[in-house]
Amino acid sequence: MTRNRYNLEVSIDRVRGYACGLLIALAPLLTMPVYGEGGTVLILSSDTTVEKYLTAQTSFKKATTASTYEIDLGKKWADDSRVARSIITKDPDVIYCIGSKAYLLAHKVAKDKNIVLSSAINWQRFPLGKNTFGVANELPSEMQLTMFRYFFPKINTIGVLYSKKYNKEWMDLAVHDGKEVDIEVTGRSIKHPKDVEDDLLLLLSEVDAIWLTSDPVVLANKNTIETIFQLADKHNKPVFAYDPAFAGYGATMMLSADIPTIGRQAAGLAEEIIGVRPAGGRFQSPAGSEIIVNLKKIDEYGIELNRDALDSVNSIID
Amino acid sequence: MTILRHNSLFALCPKLVLYRHHPLFVFVSLSLFLPFVLSGAQPATSTTIYFYSPETNINNFSSLKAEFDIYLSQFGAYRFQPFSERLTFETFIAKSDRAVFLLSTWHYQNLKRRLSMEPVLVGVSRNQSTQRRVLSVQKSFTDIGFLKGIKIASSGSAEFTTTILKHMLHDRDSAVIASMKIFSVPKDIDALLAVGFGMSTAAFTTQNSLEKFENINPKQFNTLRQIAVSSETLFPIVARQMDSADQVQDILDIMEKMGDDPEGEKRLKMLGLDSLKKLSNDELEMLNK
Repeated sequence: MTRNRYNLEVSIDRVRGYACGLLIALAPLLTMPVYGEGGTVLILSSDTTVEKYLTAQTSFKKATTASTYEIDLGKKWADDSRVARSIITKDPDVIYCIGSKAYLLAHKVAKDKNIVLSSAINWQRFPLGKNTFGVANELPSEMQLTMFRYFFPKINTIGVLYSKKYNKEWMDLAVHDGKEVDIEVTGRSIKHPKDVEDDLLLLLSEVDAIWLTSDPVVLANKNTIETIFQLADKHNKPVFAYDPAFAGYGATMMLSADIPTIGRQAAGLAEEIIGVRPAGGRFQSPAGSEIIVNLKKIDEYGIELNRDALDSVNSIID
Repeated sequence: MTILRHNSLFALCPKLVLYRHHPLFVFVSLSLFLPFVLSGAQPATSTTIYFYSPETNINNFSSLKAEFDIYLSQFGAYRFQPFSERLTFETFIAKSDRAVFLLSTWHYQNLKRRLSMEPVLVGVSRNQSTQRRVLSVQKSFTDIGFLKGIKIASSGSAEFTTTILKHMLHDRDSAVIASMKIFSVPKDIDALLAVGFGMSTAAFTTQNSLEKFENINPKQFNTLRQIAVSSETLFPIVARQMDSADQVQDILDIMEKMGDDPEGEKRLKMLGLDSLKKLSNDELEMLNK
């Protein structure tokens, strides 16, 4: 009897010992920061047939540790009421909105939810809820100017056509940022698309290159875009553009945000929201760039290219 | 050859004959056999350069392939094949005899016990065959203790970055290293800019990239503090299968001369290299440590 009791006590002591050992072994895991393990994210895409939206979505899913489910607003069934019902039923921790259509719908039907927005042009124009976060679609002017300096060490003056109505603040910042990389940014403001030709001619006589920005007055129609590229070409001046779509017009360099990186950033934001509130700003700049250079144009215009920068190029046109 | 395969299939499963004109059957058959037919169409004697690097988040595969293929075609039946997936690349190494492999030294050191490869050439940049990696943090970070849980922007794979970081920080605080979150960006310059713009707390880059960044944007550079530096490692190497020396010597000769030709140099620059040269005894020793 006494021996049995002794054996039982020994067993209990062993169990206690194992339990303590297990706790000590697990202690580092228990004190590790939580990066959003668990949690649910609704991925609300404006239209998955749009390649850039799908790329962001794929990259987000690859990077996140949260569980996800998706609604594609490109599908006919996905109307406001069904999306709203799905959000109420499944109650996701975060809604990741890809594109403006998705964001506007999420803001309308669930504006108090945590929302992460990406792949929408100029996020500042949207109504923002107190729980809205996101990744901007545009690279900051200083990032772009740093890349121009990196690729073209001999380019010292860059000209921009812009409208004060839409881009005055952006232009002021670009002039300031240019000084950080020894590039003088000269702007000419226009009020109407018909002014493009005259003002561009004046600008071309003053600068080494033209920087095309997404200004609705300057890029009002296909004709003004063609005029810009034709005149620049006639004056042997390169055009730096913000989208790969300008390759066909003869842009010398196209610099845009890298979409897979945007998806990864959005995943990071969503996980931080699920774990702890993001400490930084509500909207991040894109952290990756996609660069296309047209070597044919570079040779044609006789511009000096920093060949070491070729390791940063995504595509070469030659 | 395709017909024979179809007949064998029908012999195995006679009921399939009933569906042989069904569009779905035709589609499935094509999907199954087209790769064999296409691979059979390649010249039997073509030699391939297989490329994979966990050290850079290279995503310009189509451009790289097109540029190298155009360059190599002037010399004969040579091809360039970059890979985005490590395991696929390793599978090709194991089964390819008429090929050479352009890979990082870190990857080679991981593979050398499993696969019988012989390193032959090494990359050169700025007359150096070695490079260092640097961990740069926001200037407000003064001590490694502050690094717990931070986000590190890197153009290398998470596995590569974490391994090198462990060496750089001398395993001083494994809990700190384990808590770091590697944020993948396309290029070194993106990683450095990400710190300045607050998307990341630290950047893991090559020393070369950091020096270039100092020249390009001194203001942003001055917001960074270099907190750890790696030991020297070799630039990517070119290796061949142990028993393939005769079959691949011609492509190795072409690669060794690429740096002397402006067109060849242009292609190597896309990989961050100026040229390729034969490994010296010291470099081989370094590689086999």
